[in-house]
Amino acid sequence: MYYAVIVATLVTMALALLRAVRGPTVYDRVLAVNMFGTKTVLLLAALAFVFGRPDFLDLVLVYALINFIGVFAVLEFFRNRATRAGERQPAQHE
Amino acid sequence: MSTITLLFSIFLLTLLMITTMAIVRTRNLFVAVMLMGIASLLIAASFFLLDAADVALTEAAVGAGISTVLFLGALALTSERERSPSSLPLLSLGIVAIVALIVIYATFDQPPLGSPSAPVQAHLTPWYIESTRELIDIPNVVTAVLASFRGYDTLGEVIVVFTAGVGVLFLLGTGASASAAGAPLSEDNAGLRHYLIPRILGRLLIPFILLLGFYVQFHGEYSPGGGFQAGAIVAASIILYSLLEGEQRALLVIPQGVLLAMMVGGVLLYGAVGVAGLVLGGNFLDYSVLDSDPVKGQQWGILLIEIGIGITVAGVLISIFHAFASRGAA
Repeated sequence: MYYAVIVATLVTMALALLRAVRGPTVYDRVLAVNMFGTKTVLLLAALAFVFGRPDFLDLVLVYALINFIGVFAVLEFFRNRATRAGERQPAQHE
Repeated sequence: MSTITLLFSIFLLTLLMITTMAIVRTRNLFVAVMLMGIASLLIAASFFLLDAADVALTEAAVGAGISTVLFLGALALTSERERSPSSLPLLSLGIVAIVALIVIYATFDQPPLGSPSAPVQAHLTPWYIESTRELIDIPNVVTAVLASFRGYDTLGEVIVVFTAGVGVLFLLGTGASASAAGAPLSEDNAGLRHYLIPRILGRLLIPFILLLGFYVQFHGEYSPGGGFQAGAIVAASIILYSLLEGEQRALLVIPQGVLLAMMVGGVLLYGAVGVAGLVLGGNFLDYSVLDSDPVKGQQWGILLIEIGIGITVAGVLISIFHAFASRGAA
């Protein structure tokens, strides 16, 4: 059962990686990375049970709790760039 | 390692190779940063498959949030396109090929990977595993090796982290001068404060991330974890706060002076534990003399130096983040 879950997760990870590498837009890649993180959480959780080491779930908790911070940083990055592009635009008109 | 685990490992490493090739090939640095996130996840999963949970946790704590944030902070200061590669690509390829051949030749003298008869498995590892129970009596042998048996190496590592932090602050400035020079970021425009859903959800999660950080810190003797991982997790929660609420607010919560004191204080705490061992009649970083019961003394020493590591790592990571962010805002 766990092995079926692991294989399915690995296939999904490969597909997400394909999307992240192929693109074509930035948002495809951001979504792909986010999904890859979620699949890693699932994979590690399933592996922890296969190994019979549920205490390794700490690692899964770390990913579950802080993996989304990178996405916030991406949002902030694009917001900053848009703000700065907006500031530059009027300067060119003058 | 069972055959199935081996197959999983090979699959993950193949994905890792595809990812790294894509990172090398892409000229768009933003894409490279995104793919680095995937590479970090794959490396952590591979470590996990090899039963190295402590290392995987370190990779997770740093790679999951902080490295992406820092890369994007650096990217905000520069252009998104990589410059065309330098001249003489064939020369570079030749040098890399020669070095690779030398390294491969050198591995012929190595015992086979993971062989139980390798010298390191035959003498040192069994000694660590047996003596941990007797001398320190904590379940996590990795923590015992890292914090006690090889305390010198770890002290060196902490000093390396500290030095890296000082170096970055020298290059980018502490950010205090930028805000004093009159580049006040308008309070309303800072961070993601206008975006209600990220803000509310993010703020809800911050206490839990901090709690996880402290759990990893103080439970490191029983489960994977310790000061390095906990410092990174705590730093991630503070960085999340400043992404949501803006630089200035975060600096009001933990001012720059406190961050500098954390950077220095952690290293000093580690060193002070070592000196305390000397004063009490033992060797430097020998914790057995800290308590009347040597085993208790070892446990006290490990607890204290792990706290020192955590404080320094958190201080350094948050300082580096502020250095990048204030540079980008100015």
